[in-house]
Amino acid sequence: MANKKKNDYVSKDNLGNNVSQKEVKVKNKENKYVSDKNEKKEVKEKITSPKEIILSIKNASYRYSDAEEGDYALKNVSFDFESGKLYAIRGRSGTGKTTLLSLISGLEKCTEGEIIFDGKSLKDMNLDKYRNSDIGIVFQSYNLLPFMTASENIVLSMDVNGLKIKNKKAKAIELMEKVGLKASYANRKVLRLSGGEQQRVAIARSLSYNPKMIIADEPTGNLDKQTETEILEIFKKLAHEENKCVIIVTHSQNVCDTVDTIYDLKKREK
Amino acid sequence: MFILKNAWISIKRNKGRNILIGIIILIIACACTITLAIKNTAVDLINSYKSAYDKEVTIGFNRENMMKSFDPSQEEGRESAREKFDNIASYTISDVLKFADSDYIESYYYTYSVGLNGNSIEKAEIESNGDMPNGFGHGKENNMSSTDFTLTGYSSEDAMSEFISGTYTMNEITDNAWNIAFNGNYVFINEELASYNNLKLNDKIKLEDEDGNVYEFEIIGIFKENEEDNQESMSMFSNSVNTIITNTDAVVNLTNGNENLKASIHPTFIIDSYDNVENLQDEFYEKGLDENFILQTNEELAESGVSSVKNISSFSTTFLIITLIIGGIVLFVINMINIRERKYEIGVLRTIGISKLKLTMQFVVELAIVSVVALMLGAGIGAVSSKGVSNSLLASEINSSNEKTEEVNKNFGGMNRGGERGNMHGKGMPVVQAYDSIDAVVDIKVLLELLGIGLSLVLVSSIASMVSIQRFSPLTILKERS
Repeated sequence: MANKKKNDYVSKDNLGNNVSQKEVKVKNKENKYVSDKNEKKEVKEKITSPKEIILSIKNASYRYSDAEEGDYALKNVSFDFESGKLYAIRGRSGTGKTTLLSLISGLEKCTEGEIIFDGKSLKDMNLDKYRNSDIGIVFQSYNLLPFMTASENIVLSMDVNGLKIKNKKAKAIELMEKVGLKASYANRKVLRLSGGEQQRVAIARSLSYNPKMIIADEPTGNLDKQTETEILEIFKKLAHEENKCVIIVTHSQNVCDTVDTIYDLKKREK
Repeated sequence: MFILKNAWISIKRNKGRNILIGIIILIIACACTITLAIKNTAVDLINSYKSAYDKEVTIGFNRENMMKSFDPSQEEGRESAREKFDNIASYTISDVLKFADSDYIESYYYTYSVGLNGNSIEKAEIESNGDMPNGFGHGKENNMSSTDFTLTGYSSEDAMSEFISGTYTMNEITDNAWNIAFNGNYVFINEELASYNNLKLNDKIKLEDEDGNVYEFEIIGIFKENEEDNQESMSMFSNSVNTIITNTDAVVNLTNGNENLKASIHPTFIIDSYDNVENLQDEFYEKGLDENFILQTNEELAESGVSSVKNISSFSTTFLIITLIIGGIVLFVINMINIRERKYEIGVLRTIGISKLKLTMQFVVELAIVSVVALMLGAGIGAVSSKGVSNSLLASEINSSNEKTEEVNKNFGGMNRGGERGNMHGKGMPVVQAYDSIDAVVDIKVLLELLGIGLSLVLVSSIASMVSIQRFSPLTILKERS
């Protein structure tokens, strides 16, 4: 451990080498978890079969502007994310999960390294456009506008995207139904909805312009177990049935048990 | 489009705050409308007053130039100045016509004076005192002091400056006097001369030149010289007692018929702008005016009468600036508070991909919508109240404007001097505009100025939101919220 480089992040089962990421769990074609040694070959084929890498993080580091020299919130992280898969980024508090999420979502820029989305570096992209058309973001605290109704929040997102459809409210209701909300909730102010319902509205909002990737920051952190399971089921469907890349930043075991791939962020050594 | 939609939603959502902003802008708009209206009306009054005094240019001696070579302590200096004075080339009526042919000159008039002796009438004087003034009270006729009378021809009513200024006032006048005054041998005489010679309207008088040629004129008006203008004189007669007023054509006819009859001309040129005086002077010099003459204007006189209105105008401007500064600061602070209250909203909107520019535009549009409504209401209320306020503040100026009009009419004998005579000399009497009250003070100019002020205020007070939106990190905002 002594000769390990400070601030490096490693997955939980690769401490013996310098690889900073590792898939710790994979599924077969039928979406069943596999652990049987006899099935490993099939799994291997599944992993190595060519899948579209939608997002690639290459040696990304981030240091706050007011931090001391060498004090990185995130250092040399490299992950790849494929379409049609559900990912978890796991780590204890202070490991830089939220920082990584803000880098992926274009809310912050890498200090070093780069992030490639759909073949283009985020550095070269209009990040506002990226956030309102290429990715959808779901937050733990939902981040809905409380003075708007459920449907207005979703329609606002469509407006920002510049989506040209005739009846945006109908589309919003359709999305609400898709995430398990009744159409009658459309005209309800979001503060009159439960936490789970608000999170569904937030997911519906993130889907309003059909992005290729969904990024969720502790999306079930404020929810009970039952609701968490239901929300995770939505994400799973989005990944597996709609070929979206869904990345969930979490420290919930329940979430980790649901996803296809887990990336671990390890706390920096001081 | 969604910017407008979002702005409208936000306005409806934050009714209390927007009503407060609206009230402040309404008060500012009201104050601005009233002050702008007062200011513009004051400017109108000033312009009106100035236009009553045409921008006049006269030819005078360049005393400064002449004094350069004059040393009063030296006999030689006095001799040299006298010699110089005698050698100044005077100008003739044809020179004046040549000078008047200039792009800078809108119109011109002149008086043409000649000295004549009485034939059928006698000069009004006190015989025992040979030193008494002989009636040439205005210093123009200095080369005619040896004659009994000065016959002064005016080219038009504009030239009759003594009547405009009130030095002379018409006492009696024939019904058709103003129809014939500038076309034939008709004269106005001083009432003291009339009394001295027992003359009345329509009487004929005869004057003669030094060669014995006799000229006959008909009296169509009798004027008096106001006492205050004559109080310094030691004479029992007024300065103008032996001045006989006629038209320039009559004097020209006299001088054309007798080469020995020397007349002096005093032109007045009306120019479009005082700024052109220097250019005009250069042009006159090029056309042959002696460089010992200089052009003089009546600008100071025109300015002097409007000082109180100018004070009101500058007070309005100061009040307007203070209102705008205070209003701007209040709006700025409200906007700062507004932005802090809506930090979370900004964070969410930025996170879902609204650009900083569009977000800034949304905040500006919100304020602009509230402002436009408040400005319209403020302009309406201001328009209703500004008339009363303006009229009350400018009451004395309105009165003096009215009095001036009445006074000038009175000086000319209280007759209607327009109409049929108007085209005889191409230019009518200078008219002082009278205001019964100030109407339509809130005109399109005021509204446009108000709109400009309103939009500037919106932009200035929006600086808070513009800067904040640029500075806020959406992630930080959302973390704080969490």
